[in-house]
Amino acid sequence: MNHTALSSDFNTGKAPTVRAKKIHKNTLKTRLIVFGVLAAALVILAFFSEYLCPYDPYVQDLSMAKAAPSLAHPFGTDRYGRDMLSRVIVGSRTSIYSTLLLVGFITVFGSFIGIICAWTGRWLDALLMRISDLFLAFPGLVFALAVAAVLGGGVQNAIIALAAISWPKYARVARSQTLAQKESVYLRAARLSGCSTAKLILKHILPNIFGPILVTAMLDIGTMMMELAGLSFLGLGASPPVAEWGSMMSDTRNLLTTHPWVTLAPGFAIFVSVMIFNLFGDTVRDWLDPGNGR
Amino acid sequence: MKLKKITAFAAGTVLAAGLFAGCGSGTADTAAESTSAVSSAESAAETEETEETASTGTKTLVIGDTTFNASNEEADVNPHNTYAGWACIRYGIGETLIKYSDEMEIEPWLATEWENTDENTWVITLRDGVTFSSGRAMDAEAVKECLEHLIEVHDRAASDLKIESIEADGQVLTITTSEPKPALLNYLGDPYGCIIDVEAGFDDGIVAGTGPYIAEDLLTDDHLDLVKNENYWGGEPKIDQITIKTITDGNTLANALQSGEVQAAYGMAYESYPLFENDNYQFSQIATSRCFFTKMNFDEGSVCSDPAVRKAIAMGIDKESFVDVLLEGNGFAANGVFPDGFAFGGDQVTTETYDPEAAMKVLEDAGWVDEDGDGIREKDGQKLEITWVTYPSRQELPLLAESAQATLKDIGIDVEVNSTADHNEVVKDQSKWDVYAMANVACPTGDPEYWFTVFAVTDAARNHGGYSSEKLDELEAEMSKTFDVDKRAELAIEMQQTILDDNAFIFCSFLKMSMISQSNVSNYTSHACDYYQITADLDIEL
Repeated sequence: MNHTALSSDFNTGKAPTVRAKKIHKNTLKTRLIVFGVLAAALVILAFFSEYLCPYDPYVQDLSMAKAAPSLAHPFGTDRYGRDMLSRVIVGSRTSIYSTLLLVGFITVFGSFIGIICAWTGRWLDALLMRISDLFLAFPGLVFALAVAAVLGGGVQNAIIALAAISWPKYARVARSQTLAQKESVYLRAARLSGCSTAKLILKHILPNIFGPILVTAMLDIGTMMMELAGLSFLGLGASPPVAEWGSMMSDTRNLLTTHPWVTLAPGFAIFVSVMIFNLFGDTVRDWLDPGNGR
Repeated sequence: MKLKKITAFAAGTVLAAGLFAGCGSGTADTAAESTSAVSSAESAAETEETEETASTGTKTLVIGDTTFNASNEEADVNPHNTYAGWACIRYGIGETLIKYSDEMEIEPWLATEWENTDENTWVITLRDGVTFSSGRAMDAEAVKECLEHLIEVHDRAASDLKIESIEADGQVLTITTSEPKPALLNYLGDPYGCIIDVEAGFDDGIVAGTGPYIAEDLLTDDHLDLVKNENYWGGEPKIDQITIKTITDGNTLANALQSGEVQAAYGMAYESYPLFENDNYQFSQIATSRCFFTKMNFDEGSVCSDPAVRKAIAMGIDKESFVDVLLEGNGFAANGVFPDGFAFGGDQVTTETYDPEAAMKVLEDAGWVDEDGDGIREKDGQKLEITWVTYPSRQELPLLAESAQATLKDIGIDVEVNSTADHNEVVKDQSKWDVYAMANVACPTGDPEYWFTVFAVTDAARNHGGYSSEKLDELEAEMSKTFDVDKRAELAIEMQQTILDDNAFIFCSFLKMSMISQSNVSNYTSHACDYYQITADLDIEL
């Protein structure tokens, strides 16, 4: 059915394809740099957030309560007269670092389990994979809610709750990748030449399965940030007065119709940072795609 | 091509899976499904019916309420069950022997007259021609059964009323108390004193009262359906069916009133008021003795057992700003237990005022010093940290907690806020809290004794903090024997001053209560005691 279209591609020659590829590669590089810089900037800004706030984000000044956005308070103030801009900036630290910590943990833990499964096989593989199936069968946020409810509030517990439900994805990816590598010729050669198991895994397998895992992790940052904010919004994450975007939105939702800026400011921050991390993740995926001929 | 195949296969699999799932539940739950189908058909028919009769004049009203829920100890409408009597009296199901006027003085209701024949004996004459919704006539025998059941099962009633025996003769009820009980009639106006037909039972928390409306269907934390009592002694109620919807979240309640899902609302967050300050809605507002106050934990394990800490906390809460900003002016800063307007309230007692400097001095003198420079004081290696327990169904309680958290931090006290619907359970364990902030009507009976016997004397049912003051107990013993109203007021002032000097409780603010309704609703009026919400006069224009 597509035969004519295909042949016409061939007929017009390879030149445009190569050019298109080049353009694609060039924009890819730009994208990688732009989003990489943006993501890095977010992480660095979050680290120094305390020094960047124009006001102390925790100091209440009731005489300034619910002030509309102005030059002095670009995002306005909340019901306690706290500067929203400062709170959003400080909130970035809780939100972004919790997310990175969470994603880092589930990546390492999940991959570890995945590699063990693939490497040892047999009953351990079957057992661990059935356990991971069990977790995958639950709706993520609902399970996290249950775990967080049992553990009580607090950012730490929210991280644990989300980690408990999110690791199987990484285990699956790592396992399938390792299985593929395990049967490859070079690995047999390495084994024949007397490499120890640790060396085989660390030096030969890990570098080869790193790409897909990294991509999964990058794409997960946005999702995890949303889910953490979601848990906080439901009152199971950060507790007052800690500035965290999700809980800030939740605390102020009574004011959404009358003083919208107090809810919109953290909402906008979530939107922007999730978007940046998602776009960066997408770009990393494209970049690592072997089809790019890198 | 390949992509198409894959998509088709995937879609097919999903469909097949759906089909299987459908079959599975179908075979297992056929009965359930068919009944639900029937009930949905029924409800469809019902809606049609309502719509039909709506044109012929059936009046319905839906009221949203944030406080009608189990965590408020209002799980049903049975007045003999903790605080559920509030729902019973508010929603026009039950009525009490006496009624409070706007000045909180007692007036006849189901009782037409009463007489104090000697210190321990009360002769009460009941209203003629009143019947319960069960059909039984309300006579002295029925009231006797009701009160006897009440003091047998209710946690506060027995110690409040001190009833020894009751005699019934036609419409005349004679109550003998075990000790002089000057405020007996006042207490019988408490919502737990709703007169119900005990013989009719308490099925699912529904009781048969004498009020303008009859409870028909109840699902705790969800809804309560009421129908009008055709035989109401006070005239025919104007609305045919009323539904009370439990909506604990203030924002949801605001949305529900805006969308018309409910036509009237109780417990709206003050922050949402601007949405309704227009011609489509009306407010009924009144100053009440509903008070935001905190209990202190006197258990040795709590830092609040240190008088200096209690004093510093009392000095570290900015009541004025809380009222002006966070209550948006819908209240008054409090001194003692009772607001202005009561003979024993307002400025007649003195207490600590907001003064961070002085509070810091108090702490320093007591040995609480910040040694490690983290802004939080320590003493003997113990950090000055308090857990502040409160609950969110009174929308502004968490705001009080967060505001106090900031002002107390300034003086070196670290506050962890635990705002939970489960507060009733949490505070039973004294190791889990230091300060418990709650809202309560301080003077629901128009008499000052009530508050002290419920919250403050050593063996009070709700003295969660374990406060015990010999002086207070003695004064209360004296008050319980005093019939003279002026003398009772004097004692009330002295008793308030006692607990304030101990900083055993901190009274933050009294609230103006508002009920908001669409402009076509009439006689949805708030009352000083916060009880009588639905009356026979409540009406809605269609």
